[in-house]
Amino acid sequence: MSQSLRPYLSCVRSTLTAALSLSNFASQASERHNVPEIEAATSPELLLNPLVVSRNQDERVLVEPSVNSVRVSIRIKQADEIEGILVHKFMRFLSQRAEAFFVLRRKAVAGYDISFLITNFHTEEMLKHKLVDFIIQFMEEVDKEISEMKLFLNARARFVAESFLTPFD
Amino acid sequence: MLLLDYGNLLIESLLKDRFAPGATPTSIDQISGEFDNTSFHISTPESKSKILISLAIKCYPELVKYGAEEVLQREYGSLIVQPESGYDFSVGVDLEQLPESEEEKTDLIRRISLMKRNALAAPFEQAFDEFASLQEQARQYTSESAPQGVREGGEVRAIHYREEEAIYIKASHDRVTVIFSTIFREETDRVYGKVFLQEFVDARKRGVQNAPQVLARDDPPLELQGIPGIKAGKGEVTYVTFVLFPRHLTPQRRAEVISHIETFRDYFHYHIKASKAYIHSRMRRRTADFLQVLRRARPEAEEKERKTASGRTFTVKG
Amino acid sequence: MANINWRTINIDALDPESSYNFDLSTLTPAVLPVSTQDVQTLSGQIRQLLRGGNAEGALQGALENAPYGADEQGKAAHFSAVTECLNQIRQAEMTPLLQRLYKTEAGSELCDTLMKYLYKGMSQGANTPSNHASAKNVTPQATGFSQAGGRSFGGGEGGGQAMSVFLSWHEKLVEMVGPGSIVRVMSDRRTV
Repeated sequence: MSQSLRPYLSCVRSTLTAALSLSNFASQASERHNVPEIEAATSPELLLNPLVVSRNQDERVLVEPSVNSVRVSIRIKQADEIEGILVHKFMRFLSQRAEAFFVLRRKAVAGYDISFLITNFHTEEMLKHKLVDFIIQFMEEVDKEISEMKLFLNARARFVAESFLTPFD
Repeated sequence: MLLLDYGNLLIESLLKDRFAPGATPTSIDQISGEFDNTSFHISTPESKSKILISLAIKCYPELVKYGAEEVLQREYGSLIVQPESGYDFSVGVDLEQLPESEEEKTDLIRRISLMKRNALAAPFEQAFDEFASLQEQARQYTSESAPQGVREGGEVRAIHYREEEAIYIKASHDRVTVIFSTIFREETDRVYGKVFLQEFVDARKRGVQNAPQVLARDDPPLELQGIPGIKAGKGEVTYVTFVLFPRHLTPQRRAEVISHIETFRDYFHYHIKASKAYIHSRMRRRTADFLQVLRRARPEAEEKERKTASGRTFTVKG
Repeated sequence: MANINWRTINIDALDPESSYNFDLSTLTPAVLPVSTQDVQTLSGQIRQLLRGGNAEGALQGALENAPYGADEQGKAAHFSAVTECLNQIRQAEMTPLLQRLYKTEAGSELCDTLMKYLYKGMSQGANTPSNHASAKNVTPQATGFSQAGGRSFGGGEGGGQAMSVFLSWHEKLVEMVGPGSIVRVMSDRRTV
C-alpha cells in the first residue's frame, strides 16, 4: 500500500466509525414518518457538522452526519480522460444496482463520484464495523480496479495494433 | 478471432455446401450484410442449379470511376451477368458447369466470397500502379528538378464507403498514403479509440519496424486539403493515415496488403467494442464482489436450539 | 405572480413554528465576539513563538485561544497560524507532544480543538477548483493524441503534501483520544 493511502484510509475509517452513531428518530416535520434527516434537511438542529477527509485534491470523502442517517460521498481519483470515463462508467453501473446494495445512493452528491446513504435501520440490522469495512474495502478496490482496467485497455490496444501491423512486416 | 477475415463467411459456407459432391440443388434466397453497408443477395431466381450472387455497395459509382469494372472483369470474367435490379454487380454460378477439380472449386468459392474486397481493391490497385509509374519518372530527376506532377504525386482518390466515413488514397513517387476518416458515436468510444490509435502510432517504434507508418489526428491532414466535403480544423472526425512504403507495394505483396488494409476500420471498431464488452463484464464481476463484502455486514441468524416446555428438543426428520 | 410554481414553495420556511426555522444560535454556547484585529495580533504572537523554536508552546497557545467568535476572515487567519505550527513539528515529535498536551488541564478540550482544525484543513481542498476539469482538456502532443503513463499512487501533487500532514496528525490524535473526539467535532456548534 502506498505511503499516503494508509493514513487516508485509517482516517476515513475512524471518521466513519464516529459518524455511524445513529439512532431512530421520527420526523419532526411530518407525523408518523421516519425520514433520513440528512436528506430531508427539515430540521437544522438534527444535522451535524459535515467532515471532509482528503488525500489530495482529487481524492476525498465527504461525511455528512445527522441524527439518524449519514451520507458518505467519495471522490475517486481520475488522472486522465481514460480514468474519467472508466470511473464514470463503473459508478453508473453500481448506482443502477443501488437497491441491491441497500446503502448506495442512486445519485452522487455534486462534486463526488459516488454516495452512500446509511440510516439507523442499516446500522441496526448490519454490523457497524463491517459496514465501515465495506466502505474502506470499496475505496481500495475501486482504485485498484480502475487502474487494472486502464492497464488492460492499454495492453489490449498494443496487442491489437501490433497484430494488425505485423502482416505488413 | 483477432484479425478479421477478408471474405464473406456466409457466401463461403453456402457455396461450399452447394458445391459439395452429391449435394442436391435447393433454392436459396439469402441477404447478408457487412459493416460498411455492403449487402449481398444470394438467390436462385431461374432454377435451383443456377446461383446468382449480387453485391450492393454504397460507393459503387466511385469505385467504377477508379476502375472497379476492370478489376472485377479480371477476377470473375465469364461469371459476370447482368446486375440484378437494386444491386450493383452480379455473378452467376451454374452448378452443372462446375470445374472438375477440388482445388478449382475452392478457388472459385474463395474468389466469390472476396467480391467486396475486390470491388474495393480497384482504387488501391490504381494508386499502386500510379506509384510505380511515378517512381519510374522520378528516377529521371533529382528531387529539385522534378516537375510539379511527379513531386506532388497523383490525385486523391476518395471512397465514401459509409455515410460519414471515407477512405482516401494518394500515390506519390515514394509512397502511397491511405487515410481513413472515422467518427466515434460515443464519448467512451472516442477515448478508447484514442488509446488504440496511440498504440498503432507507437507500434513501429517498438518492433514492427517494417510496418506502414501510422499517424492519427483530429484535423484533416495536409494531403486532404482542398478536397470537397472535408471540414477544415478540428472536428469530431478522426483521420488515421497509413503510409505504405515501396516495400509494401511490390507486385508480389500487393494483393495481401490491399486485403489487409481494407479491414482496418472494421477491425479497429470491432476491438473497441470488444474492449467495452470486456470491461463491462469486469464491472459486473467486481460489483458481485462488493455485494459479497456488504453481505458480510449482516449478522448471521443464529440457529438456536428450540425446546418444548417439557425439555424435549425438536429433530428434523429427513 | 402567475408564473410561480406553488408546489416548489417551501412552506416550512414561512411557518415560524416549524422546525425548519429552529434557531440554531440557542444551541451554541455563548461565545464572545472576537475582532479580526485581535486574531491577527494573536497569530503574530503565535508566529513569534514559532520562530523562537517553541512550536509546542505556539500550538498550545493557538488551540487555547481558538477564536470561536471571530468572523470568517479572523478564523482563516487563525487557521493559517495553526497550520504553520502543525507543519513545523516533525513526525516523530507528534505523539509525545500530543501526550503532554493531553495531560494539561483542559487537555481533552485542546485535543478536540486540534481535531477541528485538522478537519478544517482537509476540507480546504474541496473548496478549490480541482483538476477534474483540467484532466479533460489535456494538451495534445505532437501526434495529436495524448496518453498519460501508468497510474501513479504517489499523490504528491495537488495539495497531497499538505493533506498528508493533516492525515498523520489525525492518525496520531485518534490513537490517543479515540473516536469520541471526532463525534465532538461533528456535534459542537462552535466551529473554528
